[in-house]
Amino acid sequence: MKALILVGGFGTRLRPLTLSVPKPLVDFANKPMILHQIEALKDIGVTEVVLAINYQPEVMLNFLKDFEEKLSIKITCSQETEPLGTAGPLALARDKLIDGSGEPFFVLNSDVISEYPLKEMIKFHKSHGGEASIMVTKVDEPSKYGVVVMEETTGKVEKFVEKPKLFVGNKINAGIYLLNPSVLDHIELRPTSIEKEVFPKIAAAKKLYAMVLPGFWMDIGQPRDYITGLRLYLNSLRKKTSSKLASGPHILGNVIVHETAKIGEGCLIGPDVAIGPGCIIESGVRLSSCTVMRGVRIKKHACISNSIIGWHSTVGQWARVENMTILGEDVHVCDEVYSNGGVVLPHKEIKTSILNPEIVM
Amino acid sequence: MVIAEERVVAVIMVGGPTKGTRFRPLSFNVPKPLFPLAGQPMVHHPISSACQKIPNLAKIYLIGFYEEREFALYVSSISNELKLPVRYLKEDKPHGSAGGLYNFKDLIMEEDPVFYLYLSISYMLANYLVLVICSCSCSCSWGSSYFLLQSHIFLLNCDVCCSFPLPQMLDAHKKYGGMGTILVVKVSPESASEFGELVADPVTNELLHYTEKPETFVSDRINCGVYIFTPDIFTAIEGVSSQRKDRANLRRVSSFEAMQPDSRSLTANYVRLDQDILSPLAGKKQLYIYETVDFWEQIKTPGMSIKCSALYLSQFRHTAPHLLENGDGIKKACIIGDVYIHPSAKVHPSAKIGPGVSISANARIGAGARLINCIVLDDVEIKENAVVIHAIVGWKSSIGRWARVQGRGDYNAKLGVTILGESVAVEDEVVVINSTVLPHKTLNVGVQDEIIL
Repeated sequence: MKALILVGGFGTRLRPLTLSVPKPLVDFANKPMILHQIEALKDIGVTEVVLAINYQPEVMLNFLKDFEEKLSIKITCSQETEPLGTAGPLALARDKLIDGSGEPFFVLNSDVISEYPLKEMIKFHKSHGGEASIMVTKVDEPSKYGVVVMEETTGKVEKFVEKPKLFVGNKINAGIYLLNPSVLDHIELRPTSIEKEVFPKIAAAKKLYAMVLPGFWMDIGQPRDYITGLRLYLNSLRKKTSSKLASGPHILGNVIVHETAKIGEGCLIGPDVAIGPGCIIESGVRLSSCTVMRGVRIKKHACISNSIIGWHSTVGQWARVENMTILGEDVHVCDEVYSNGGVVLPHKEIKTSILNPEIVM
Repeated sequence: MVIAEERVVAVIMVGGPTKGTRFRPLSFNVPKPLFPLAGQPMVHHPISSACQKIPNLAKIYLIGFYEEREFALYVSSISNELKLPVRYLKEDKPHGSAGGLYNFKDLIMEEDPVFYLYLSISYMLANYLVLVICSCSCSCSWGSSYFLLQSHIFLLNCDVCCSFPLPQMLDAHKKYGGMGTILVVKVSPESASEFGELVADPVTNELLHYTEKPETFVSDRINCGVYIFTPDIFTAIEGVSSQRKDRANLRRVSSFEAMQPDSRSLTANYVRLDQDILSPLAGKKQLYIYETVDFWEQIKTPGMSIKCSALYLSQFRHTAPHLLENGDGIKKACIIGDVYIHPSAKVHPSAKIGPGVSISANARIGAGARLINCIVLDDVEIKENAVVIHAIVGWKSSIGRWARVQGRGDYNAKLGVTILGESVAVEDEVVVINSTVLPHKTLNVGVQDEIIL
C-alpha cells in the first residue's frame, strides 16, 4: 500500500526552528515530526511513502536514507518546481501512487499530529464503497478553519464551508485522507486546492465520506500549537504505552526523557515536558510545558515553562524562560537572564533580559 | 643608477557568517561582502578602487571565515575582469584582526613568477645584471647599479564605505617612512566613542595615541579601517605572539589575572590590530595617519547599505557617470538624482525613480511606480503605482499595485528602514512600514514596526 505526505514549503510559522532544519525534520516528542507519520503508516502495512516537497530536498533526502534502512520502508521524494497547493502534488506523484493494483492510498498533511487510526479508516473506506474518505475532527472554534458538513450517521459529506460566519457544523478537515486511484483523474498538474476544488466535486457526486477522528488532533505548524500538541500527545502516550514516559520522584505528570539525557539532583520536571538526546539538565532545574531539543544544556537553578529550547542551546544559571520563548539553534541565554516570550534566531547570545515578547534577530 | 621597483598587495578582511548577525535577514541569502551597493557587490568597491588607482598592484587577497565556495564565483569572474589575481583565503580559526594577516604572510609576500621574469629581463636588458630575489626591501649592487624592491601592503576592512584615497595614502606613507599609515576621518565627538580614537601630531602626522571605543572623549579623529603597512608589520605581529607565549611560560597566571577577560581568552596566536599593535606602537615614531575629508561610513546594518549605496552612487557622478541613469519620463523613466539601473531591468517610462536608488538585474518596475532611497534586488517585480521609500526589496519579491513599502530612513536603528527578504510578496494596496519581513512570506494585511518571521 502507498502513501503521500504533503510536506510543502518553508515552514515560516515555525521559525526560528525552521531556519535550521526543514519543518518535517523539526523534532516533536524527541522524534522528527514526519517520523511519527511514517511510523504510523508502516504499522498498517504501507510499503512506500512519497514525500511531496518543494524546499531543501538535499537535507530531506539525507535524513530519509537513514530512516529507509531503519524502518525498511521505501521513501521517495516528489519535488515541486512551483508550489502546487494541496492537490497538485498528488498529480505530480501520480506514477508513484498508482501501481495498477487498484488499492487506495493515504494522503497525510505533515503538520498534523494525532493517534492515526489508519486501520479503522481502511475499514470505514471499504464499508462505504465511495471514492474518497477523509478524517474530520471536532473543534471548539470551527470558523477558524474549513468546516465539513456531513450526514452524521453515514458520514457522507454534503459540502465544505471555508471559515463560516454562522455555525454550520463543528467538524473540520483533519488532513488525513484515503483515496481511490480514480481521484487522481480529477486532479490536474497545476496549483490546486484539495478542499476547494477536488473534494467538493467528489462530494457533489456523493462519493466522499468523512470519519470522525477518535483521540487527539493538533496542527503543530506554529509554536503555540506545538506546545499544546505535546500535552495531547503525551496524554495519549500515557494511555497507550505509559512505559515510554519517565517516572520518579522528580517527575510530575507526563514527561518523556531520551535515554541519553542526564538530569541532575533536586530537579522538578513536568508536566508535559520532552527532553531530547544528549541533553544535560543540571541540578535544581524546574521544567514545565516545554520541549528541550537535542544537545541542550540547562544550567543549575534555571526555570523554564511554556517554551521551546532549540538544538545545542544553553540556558544559564538562575535564568527564567517562559511565556512562549522560542530559542533557535545554538542560542545561549546568560546566567540570571529573564526571557518573557523572546523569539531568538539561531547563533545568538542573550545577555540582557527580554521583558516583553520580542523577536531577537 | 638606482632602480626602485615597487610592489603593492591589497588585503581585504571580509569577516564571516556567525560573527555579525546584524546583517540579517539579508545575510541569510548572501554573505555581507557580496551584497550589492550601487549595483556592485560591497567588496567590489575597495577592490576596484585598489585596481584602478594603484599602478603597481600585484594581487588582491580576500581573507575571511566564509566557505571558499561562497566566494569562488566572484573571485574568478573579478580576476578575469580586472586581469589581476584576486584570491579568497579562508581562515581556519580566529586569529584576530592582525593575526589573520600574519596567518597568510607567506602568500601575501610571495612573489609572482611572471613578475620575476619581468624584473630579470628588464634588468638584464638594462645592465646585464643577475637579479637577486628577495621578499622585502633590500638593495644589491653589481657594478654601478642599485635596485630596490619595496613591498607595501594595504589592509582594508570590507564593510567600510569611503572614497579609498589609496594613492594619496601610499605617497604619504612613503614620505613618513614608518611601518604603517592609518586612514582617519573626523567625526562628531558624540559618535567618536563607537570607534577607535586617534591622536596625532599636527605637524609630523605621527600617531601619538590610540584607544578603542573609550568611555570618555579622547579625540574626534577615528580609525577608518584602512591601513597601509611595510612588511615590518609581520615582525611586529610576531613580536606580540612570542611575547605572549613567553609570559605564559614564565609564570603561572595568578587566579586574579585568570579572571581578567583578556588573559582568559587569548591564545598566543590571537593578535588584534587595535589593542595589540596600534595602541602599543603609538608614540614610537612607527605609525602615522592620513586624514580623509571625503565621506566615510561603516556598513554594519542593512539600513546602512541603503545609505552607502547612495554615497557610492553620488561618487559615480564624478568617477563613472556612464553608470548612472538619465531619463525625463518621456521615452525613459523620470530619473531624479543618482540612480543605477541594471541593463536587464525593465522600468516603465511613467515611473519616477530616485534619488538614491539602485535596481538590480531582471527587475521589473511597473507604470506609475515611485522609488526613493531604496535597493531593489534581482528579479523583483514592482507593480503599477506602488511606492517604495527607504527600503530594501529582496530577490524575487513582488510588490502589488498601489502597495506602499516604506521606512523611516533611520539607517542604524533596528526597524529604521523596511527590509523585505527573498521572495516576499506584498499584495495589492498593502502598507508595510518600518518592518523587517523574513524570506518567503506573503503580506495581505498591512504591518508597521514589526518583524515578520
